[in-house]
Amino acid sequence: MSLSLRYESVDKIFDEGSKHAVHALKKVSFTIEPGELFCLLGPSGCGKTTLLRSTAGLESITAGRIFYGDRDVTTIPPFRRNIGMVFQNFALYPHMNVFENVAYGLRVRKMPAADVKNKVTEIMELVGLQDVLRRNPSPMALSGGQQQRVAIARALVYDPDVLLLDEPLANLDAKLRRYMRAEIRRIQKATNITTIFVTHDQEEAMAVGDRLAVLRDGIVEQIGSSDELYNQPKNPFVANFIGKMNFFNVVVTGLTSTSVEVVLADGTKLSVDKKQYRSGEDLSKGMELLVAARPEHLGVCKEKKDPSLEGNVTIIQHLGHIVRYEVKVSLTSSDRTLEIDMDGMVPSIMEKDSVRVVFDEKKVALYTKEGLI
Amino acid sequence: MKLTNSSRWKRFIQKDFTPYLVFAIPLGFLVIFLFWPLITTFLRAFMGSGAKLSLSNLGVSNFSKFLTSPLYQKSLRNSFVLSFSVVIFSILLGVPMGYIVARVKLPAKNLILSLGILPVIMPSFVGAFSWIILMGRQGVARHFLQILLNPLGITIPTIYGMFGMIFTMSLIYYPFVFLLSYSSFSSANPLLEEAAMLMGAGKWRIFWTITFPLILPSLGAASLLVFIRAIGSFGIPAIIGGEQYVLPTLIYFRVNGFWDLNGAAAIAVVNVVITGAVLIFQKYVVSRRQYETISASRSEQKLYTHWAARLFGGLFCLVILIVSLAPQITIIVMSFFEKWQGLLPEGLTLANYKRIPQVSRSELGNSLYLSSVATLFTAILGSIIAYITERRRPKGAAILDLAIMAPFVLPGTVVSVALLSAFSGNALIPLGGTFTIIIISYMIRRTPYVYRSVVASLTQLDPTLEESSTISGANWFYTFRKVSLPLILPGIISGSILTFSTLLQELSTTILLYGAKTRTVPIQIYIAVADGKMGEASALSVILLIVVFIIVYVMNTFQGNKMVNSFKLG
Repeated sequence: MSLSLRYESVDKIFDEGSKHAVHALKKVSFTIEPGELFCLLGPSGCGKTTLLRSTAGLESITAGRIFYGDRDVTTIPPFRRNIGMVFQNFALYPHMNVFENVAYGLRVRKMPAADVKNKVTEIMELVGLQDVLRRNPSPMALSGGQQQRVAIARALVYDPDVLLLDEPLANLDAKLRRYMRAEIRRIQKATNITTIFVTHDQEEAMAVGDRLAVLRDGIVEQIGSSDELYNQPKNPFVANFIGKMNFFNVVVTGLTSTSVEVVLADGTKLSVDKKQYRSGEDLSKGMELLVAARPEHLGVCKEKKDPSLEGNVTIIQHLGHIVRYEVKVSLTSSDRTLEIDMDGMVPSIMEKDSVRVVFDEKKVALYTKEGLI
Repeated sequence: MKLTNSSRWKRFIQKDFTPYLVFAIPLGFLVIFLFWPLITTFLRAFMGSGAKLSLSNLGVSNFSKFLTSPLYQKSLRNSFVLSFSVVIFSILLGVPMGYIVARVKLPAKNLILSLGILPVIMPSFVGAFSWIILMGRQGVARHFLQILLNPLGITIPTIYGMFGMIFTMSLIYYPFVFLLSYSSFSSANPLLEEAAMLMGAGKWRIFWTITFPLILPSLGAASLLVFIRAIGSFGIPAIIGGEQYVLPTLIYFRVNGFWDLNGAAAIAVVNVVITGAVLIFQKYVVSRRQYETISASRSEQKLYTHWAARLFGGLFCLVILIVSLAPQITIIVMSFFEKWQGLLPEGLTLANYKRIPQVSRSELGNSLYLSSVATLFTAILGSIIAYITERRRPKGAAILDLAIMAPFVLPGTVVSVALLSAFSGNALIPLGGTFTIIIISYMIRRTPYVYRSVVASLTQLDPTLEESSTISGANWFYTFRKVSLPLILPGIISGSILTFSTLLQELSTTILLYGAKTRTVPIQIYIAVADGKMGEASALSVILLIVVFIIVYVMNTFQGNKMVNSFKLG
């Protein structure tokens, strides 16, 4: 039986009262559904690891409550919580062989030897390490991917209520990382244990998680499926953290019942659907907004089209499935270099060329400037 | 929403309290047997000689002796001259030897390294008295050299006095400099020197601008180690100092001659202040130049292969090794003879050994008993305190760290004086003349060895291993037994072996604490030397040498040639 996991206005302040007090979590409240694979995503220092360690009980929280199902575990020490956790460096015991590593939690629970053997064999089959178990070497003799699987097996073998993964793929090389994230999803779905997966890699989070929470400075910015977060980010921070987002400074020139008329600093006019305005504040004429466009919602071309903007190509990178153009436009329009993805090379355009940047008006979104880093 | 009081209470009683109980005991020990004695010593230093320990008797009469008494002034000056000279000579011997062994192609390097460490692990007073055999008034080597040098009009001084102390100590303590500079020279990244060479620097320039600055921190640590040993040494000045008193012998003189604990305490305070000043100097001037080497790759050290470098380098090392190991060889020869006053020893005999069971049975028993009991407790104390400071990082961990390392720099005689100040006569807990007070003094002095060794293991032990065990459902004690302890055990064992082997030869603390029933082998040797019974002293020393050698040999095979690091400070 899987359990839900609920946070009620959780606050965590490190060194409370001292000069160096750090407010790591600020009134965090949300619920993870039973059996869900939930990703905590955010830049380093955003509080995601603190939230995970608080969930485990390795950090005590300053205020608020944490529930496993209906049970309030806020004050329960970690060793009485029945959780499984995989650490970033796997934390395998170098003085025990693979079998003893996996069996550790069962030995703690004083399970009879025969049952221990069955359980370990079963779980090692699930993670695909039957052969390793037969040889039963020291964990230090295993490859990174195998160590990872042993760590997962060790965390799962005693049927924990909750599984916590702390950047489990960070120590693996890129290719293995892509493979293991699919494996983790397969194993999690097979056991159906409510799981939290912490990562700073948005691609990994989108690939693995049923739902994601984006954290910044101890605040949950947005929770939703990968699709929601990518296509409907609530604010510029989430928009730019989940995938790349280009921003342009605009001013509202007119409002109709269905669309917002805006103008860029160089006079380029855009008309955006009102539904694409994603900030809460009421719109008014003369308001300063941001137009947000994903790299695939922009294009480059030589000839002048409407609406378009003048720019200079700085770098062209061929990435295989797409070609990325980095384009500089006037600082008043956008203070950062634009990234524009095209399906293929545009033969007439070279680096250092002057080009027109065109917008896909139906796809671009509008935000207030709040929350842009 | 803050936690309510009731849930705070709930969290409190749900906590695992075993660690706090386990931690309370060693902390209590430190307070009673380290802080309290040190405080009483400090107070006593300000009481006139013979005055009761009471605040109304405060005064500086003990210290004013340093201004009025010629004996005090001479001792203070001697301590300074001796310690600094020993540091300088150790550097002059050790650095070139370290460089040669690290950078010149020589045969049997491992043997050179193993022989090089012997002088420091062997009892230092043994070295001192065997130099008497060699260079005393009737000394063998002196006799021999005299015949050679007399026609040139040169007379060799005897080993007694300042020259002898500097000579003996430098030969005993140079291995610290040798081994630490060897390891820096050999582990320095050769790419740094190659880069300098590519930029056009000559060999000499490279040495002074690249190689040498990089080993400075190690050299500073080694010099400090030598200084602390030299200024705290009791055995060597007591045996060959003659009329030249130094602070530790002066302390002994005050306690043993006059039972003037207050006067001794004052000398102890001065001694500690000097050591402390040098320690702080080293910490803030030399250690600050600690460099992190930034490098992605490293290549093999290129060795000098020119015949001249090999010949002179080899000879240099050989001469130092022979001279520094001469005492050990002398002792072994001496132990089989009746006397050795001319060129050759006379009267081959086993009597020296045969007499041991009769005259030294209880001393051997005492030494073994005291060393093993103290080692056991030291291992427990040191491990737990290391665990607290390293893992729990409580507020004031730095103070705990300082407290535990303090005895490392305290001369043995000072520790004895502190314990006597607090626990002798009609003290609250009278311990004078018991086994207990010796065991406690040993624990206080050697806990740093185990502590450092365990801290080193703990810093390599990833805390997530313990967290992962907690997550798996194990309480603190289970985690400690199954995860932490097995992983820090090597550190505990090597610290304990070092403790045991140094305790067997401990003299400077025991000399002030022993009673008729608690005499140890080093005390027996010291008394035998004082009585001129060189044969008996040699036979006992040989037994000590053999035991210590076996222990250290086992330990070296057990943890590689890193032993000198265990002596290192901070």
